[in-house]
This record gives sequence, structure tokens and C-alpha cells, in this order.
Amino acid sequence: MTTNLRIRGLTKSFGGVKALDGVDLTVPAGQVHALLGHNGAGKSTLIKCLGGAFPPDSGTIEIGDRSYTRLTPRESITAGAAIIYQSLSVVDALTVAENVFLGQEWTRHGRVDRRVQEEAAAGLLERVAASCSPRDRVGDLPTGQRQLVEIAKALSRSASVLVLDEPTAALSGAESDALAERVEDLRAQGLAIVYVTHLLSEVERLADAVTVMRDGRVTHHSSVAGLSRNELVEAIAGRRHDATTRSGPARTAGRPRLTVDGLYGPGFGPVSLTVGEGERVGLFGLIGSGRTRLLETLFGRRRGQGGTIRVGELTVNPTRPAQALAAGIALVPADRRAQALFPSLTAQDNVLLPSIRTLSRAGVRALGVERRVFGSLAESVGLRPARPGLPAGAFSGGNQQKLVLGRWINEARDVEVLLLDEPTQGVDVGARQEIYRVVTGLADERGTAVLFASSDPEEVVALADRCLIVAGGRIVGELSGPDLTEQTLLSAVHEPDSRPAQGAA
Amino acid sequence: MTTADRFLTRPRVLATGGLTTLRRQPLLVVLAVMVVAFQLSTDSFLDPANLGGIATDAATLAIVAVPLALLVISGYLDLSVGSTFALGGLVAGWLATNGHTPAVAVLGALAAGAAVGVVNGVLCCHLGLSPFIVTLGMLTAIRGLAQQLFPLPLSGFGSGFAWLGGARIAGIAAPVVVAALVLIAGALFLALTPTGRHVFAIGVNREAAHLSGINIRRTPFALFVATGAAAALAGTIKASVLDSVVAGTSGSGFELAVLTAVLIGGVALTGGSGSILGVLLGVLFLGGLQNGLTLLSVPTFWQQMAQGTALVAGAALAYFAPRPGR
Repeated sequence: MTTNLRIRGLTKSFGGVKALDGVDLTVPAGQVHALLGHNGAGKSTLIKCLGGAFPPDSGTIEIGDRSYTRLTPRESITAGAAIIYQSLSVVDALTVAENVFLGQEWTRHGRVDRRVQEEAAAGLLERVAASCSPRDRVGDLPTGQRQLVEIAKALSRSASVLVLDEPTAALSGAESDALAERVEDLRAQGLAIVYVTHLLSEVERLADAVTVMRDGRVTHHSSVAGLSRNELVEAIAGRRHDATTRSGPARTAGRPRLTVDGLYGPGFGPVSLTVGEGERVGLFGLIGSGRTRLLETLFGRRRGQGGTIRVGELTVNPTRPAQALAAGIALVPADRRAQALFPSLTAQDNVLLPSIRTLSRAGVRALGVERRVFGSLAESVGLRPARPGLPAGAFSGGNQQKLVLGRWINEARDVEVLLLDEPTQGVDVGARQEIYRVVTGLADERGTAVLFASSDPEEVVALADRCLIVAGGRIVGELSGPDLTEQTLLSAVHEPDSRPAQGAA
Repeated sequence: MTTADRFLTRPRVLATGGLTTLRRQPLLVVLAVMVVAFQLSTDSFLDPANLGGIATDAATLAIVAVPLALLVISGYLDLSVGSTFALGGLVAGWLATNGHTPAVAVLGALAAGAAVGVVNGVLCCHLGLSPFIVTLGMLTAIRGLAQQLFPLPLSGFGSGFAWLGGARIAGIAAPVVVAALVLIAGALFLALTPTGRHVFAIGVNREAAHLSGINIRRTPFALFVATGAAAALAGTIKASVLDSVVAGTSGSGFELAVLTAVLIGGVALTGGSGSILGVLLGVLFLGGLQNGLTLLSVPTFWQQMAQGTALVAGAALAYFAPRPGR
């Protein structure tokens, strides 16, 4: 059997954090190879290195008979790798045939030969059993068909390695089944297929071999045959960390601080939940389960369509973040770069921007007070380096997150309900523990109610007193006490019936 | 760090005085070289009379450059200032020739300029239209409005109105005093008020500012109004200096001159960075360049080429220079 893809010792760091650390991956022709791991385990970085999105620091990538230490996107395509990212790269305004042959048009006398191109596209569409016509406008097609168009495009470039990044995340049940059949066909045609997924049922159905990643390293590699689901869950969750990282016993909830009653909006709900004084509640679910929408509605970034949100006894229902903040609700969003950080402004500005008006006297900034508040915050969160004048963009991911978190937990603020969306995404292991310590301390000492969304079971176990399982925009289960372990969490979301419903992005 | 520095630069922890300031403001070196070169080649560049002339010319530029710079830092843009400049001069001139006091004339001009700013602000900040398109359209529309309202040239505004452009306060020309006040107010605003910090935050990351509870519409809206009013004030001063104003030509090209000064002064067109000290240097550089080349009898089109080249060279230097704090 020929080997179509061989990755050896691939290493890649971002600002001191190793996203990939000596990763090996070998996929022979005619194999479906499942790639598993939590968010942030390095799967995306690995496939982006393969696609030429960025160069690895060291290691080699062999595609077919060619070996590379770094690839450009064009080299990756010519070598025979095709990567179908979750966000598809089809052009909505063009037809199916135009998309399939984008950049390699069939021409005659310098003009695109539509007829020949459409015939050729029809052949490729047949190979992937797509039901659309070459003349359809791609923007009018459902997601499943658009995905097949992109796979057809890969075949037109005679790809020998096909990477599918969580291909069923946005598909309905029927579309997922259809895709599984296509994947089996393509395996029979001799492609090497890397299949990134969170769903163990897909691994069991489709994959021949499995590689599990954790913190940038390969932690498990075997064939799927003879591997039980428990062994697979164990491999993803790693050895049992619960006892060591669990931060004290779960506390009994105090009076309710946050009460959500029948809240619903586009893509989620109705959701009802309470978070008590000093309680830390996790929202665990896959990407697209509606967690972010729920948190953003609580914070007033999105408008709910019905239901009530109460802080203590007070009904809030915020329509703007400023209203939520005035009521004592604060959010640390998941996408730090896009939604939270001011990279060119100083660390002190990043922490104090929402508070400088409150601290000011007679319309003039209280510079001395600002410096003191920043100083004590920097100490309490363990900011490194603790320099107020350094631009936030110069800090590591973990310290940037401490700045963003510090925005709401410094002594100038009085936050009653703290919402965190993926609180340690892109944060190194050391800073992660510090952030857990700070959040736990906040709940214990100030009685802040903490509600956080996470797709990392290890994080939920480390941080939550109680965890709500989210799927399809609703709460489908609850785990607490001794039942709250990485294994129970993983089994809860990997039950086939808890797959997110179509459209709940 | 001197007190003036502290007011004119953004409050940052600077290592120590001079060298850091030089690294952050390379334009200071360029300006010094230019002054020396012009003095050596003309012998009269540094004469008090000539410097006074430069200052008066640069004053109208500076009055508009300060609020425009703040607007650009917050991530917006105003191209309509050239026509607002004309409208302001015309409204003030018309009020003065129709027997109103100079104070009423100035207030009338400020109101007209502020009204233009309100339109720009509502369209850009509240409706979210592109500031480039809105203010480019307003540049043409306000010019048309001015010509429709005041088809004939206005002149003979009276001695009271002439005071605005010609008076000396403690030996300094009144326009220069006004410009100095605007510069100081702008620098204090940026450094010492909470809203001044919000200007940067909104320019760097509007979504993050919104999620931090900052009102992302009010501040840029107010800056549009301030820029409109400042443009009208500058046009009024110019009308007072010349004792005449013509709807078709007054302030034409002024929007590009101000924007050039702001950008040469180191304000990023993408928003989020810039300083009032930089704006001051940009205005002085542009005013000095124009004056020196005129003293050397360099033809106008060569002067225009020099200004344009300076802007592009400045952008290229900023691209290649090591960026402090990055």
C-alpha cells in the first residue's frame, strides 16, 4: 500500500506557546484516518500547516513522493493535498462548474469554454454523487451540496490527500449519512483521508485508524478495529486528572444571583437556569450548540425574543452591553482578538477602559488612582510582565486573557454575574491554572456568580461546581458532584441523539 | 519629560525625555533639517515677519486638523471640510455685511458648520454608512449649496469683523492664538478625559469597545460636529483675513491639505493611533514647506509635487521604521 501523507516531527509555536510539538501522522492510500482532540489540542494548526496557511518551525510533510519543510498554499494544492475547512471556500456568486474549475478554467481561444467545463464538472459531481447541476448558483445550494462541490473541486485537481475538518458540524442527519457514503467511496478510490471530528460515532463508523492529540502532542495512535468506546474516551480525556485539578469540593449554591427563565432567541432556547451566589456553573457542548448565543443574549449583545433574565430580584433583559454592565453582568468573549483586546493600547488602558469614567473626578481622569487599581489587579492575576505601559498585543495569549478578565474583576468594578466564553482558549497551561484560581477566588470571596461555556471537558471539571450539557440550543442534561468527570461529559455529548440540530450555529 | 510633552503626547510611560520623543516623532528631525535648509538657502526664512506669516497660514490648518485627527483616530474620516470651510466664511460674511455684530457672524458660521457635522454624524455613526462615501458626497453637495445660497462674492465686512483675522494679542496674531487654544484643548482632551481614551478604544476595536460598555456612537458623532464647526471657524478667519469670500473657490482643496497634515503628523488612517504633538508637527511641516518653496520662487506645481511626495515618503518611512512598542 502506498503512503500518500507522512508528517514527521512537526512543531509550531505561537508566541512561546507550542501549538504542535513533534507531531507524527501517517495516512496510506485508501485509509480514513480520524483526528481527535479537544479544541486547542493542535488539530487546526496541523491541518493549516498541511494546507500551507503557515509554515511549521520544524519537521517534514511528505505528500506523495515529495517532501517539504514548509509549503505555500499553492504548493500544497499541486502536491495533491485538498483541505475542506469548516468555513467552505466556495464562491457563492458563481455556478457549480465555475467553482469546480476556479483558477484552472477550460479555455478555447482565450475564452472560458462553458460547455466543456460543465460536462467535466458533471463527471466529477457524479463521482461524489452530488445531486446539484453544474449550472446551479452555489449560493442557492444547501450546505451539504456546497461541501460536495468543494470536494469535487479537490478531485478536479487530482488530490491524493483529502482533509475534512469537522465536515458534519453544519449538516443535518440525512446529509451527514450521505457524506459518510461519499467518504467511503473516495476511500475505495484510493484517497488518503484525514477526518477531523468530535463525534465518536463517526469514528466508529468511518475510520480505519485514529490519532488523538492533546496540548500539541499525539497522545494516542492505533487502528480503530478492536478499540472500545471507553478506550477511545479515555484516550481523548487523558489519564484521570480530576483529583489533582479539581479546585475544592463543589459548594452548595447560595441565593440565586442569576435567574434565567424561558429565554429564547434565534438558534437557542428556551433555556431556564439559575446560578447561585458564589457558584460556578459550566455550559458544556460542542461548537454550534448555542452556548455563545445564550451568553451573548444574557450580556445584551443579542436581543432575546422572549423570557426573562434576573440579577438577584431585579429583572434586566439587557438590549445593549452597557445595560448589562450597569446591572452587574459582564462577559469575557471567546474571540479575544476580534471582540475583547485593544492590541495597540497599553495594558492599563485594556483593563481600565470601561472604568476610567467612574474613576474620574469632575470629568478629569484620576491618573494616580488608575495606576494603583491597575497595579493591584496585575498582582492579583499574576500578570507578566506587570508593566502598565506595554501594548496589550505584546503579551502572551494567557496574559492577554488576564487583561481581558481583569477588565471586570478589578476593584473599580462590581460585577455580580461573570459570563466567560471559552475562558482559556489560546492560553498556555500555566496561565490556565492561574485563571482558574482567579475565577474560583472571585466566586468564593466576592460571591460572584460564574457561568462559563467550554468545549474542553478538563476545564469544566477543573472549574465548575455543576455543569449543564447543551445541545441544539437547549439544556439537555446536568452533571454535578462525583458524576462530573471528563468521561461522563464526553459520553453525554457524544450520544448520537444529542447532535446539534441543523442551523443552531 | 517636560510638562508640555506630557500634555502633547499620549500618556505613556516614556523611558526618559528627548531621545524617546525623537524616536516617537521622527518628523521633529525632518522639520529641523527643513528649517535649516530653508534658512541657508533663503536667508529670510527665520525672520520674525516670515515666521509670523507661516504661523498665520498654518493656523487655519491646525484649527481643523485637531478635531479631524481625533475623528480619524476614532476610525472615521471627514472629507467635506473644504466645502464647510467655504460655507462658514460665507455665512459669517453675509451676517457681517447685513449689519450683525462679529460675534453673531462667528456664531452663525459655527452653527452652519455644526449642522453639516450633524448630518455627517447621523449618516456615519448612527446609520453606519461609509464615512468616505458620505463625506465625499457632502463635499460636493455643500459646495453646491454654498454657491446656490451665495452666488455673488461677498466683501467689505467692516473693521469689527476684520479684527478676527488681523488683531494681535500680546503681539501674536489672533488666528494663531485660536489655533494654540484648539491644540491645547485637543491634547488635554486626549490625555486627561475618559472620553479621550474612548476615542482610541473605538478606533482600535469597535466591537471590543461596544462589549466594554463604551458608547461607540456618541463620541465619533460629537467629533463630526466639532470638525464641521472648526472648518466653518477656519473659513470665517480666512474670510476676515482676506475681507472677501467667493463660494466657488474658497477652501477648495483645503480638505486634502488638512488630511495631508494629519497623516504626515503620524495619525493612522486605519484609526487607533496618533497624537496632537504629531498633528502640530505635521501642520508646521506643511506650512513651512509651502512658505519656504514660495520664498525660493518655486512654481506652484512643483510645490504640489513636493507636498504629495512628502506624504507618500512619510507613509513609506512609517512602514519601514521600527515601530516603538510593537
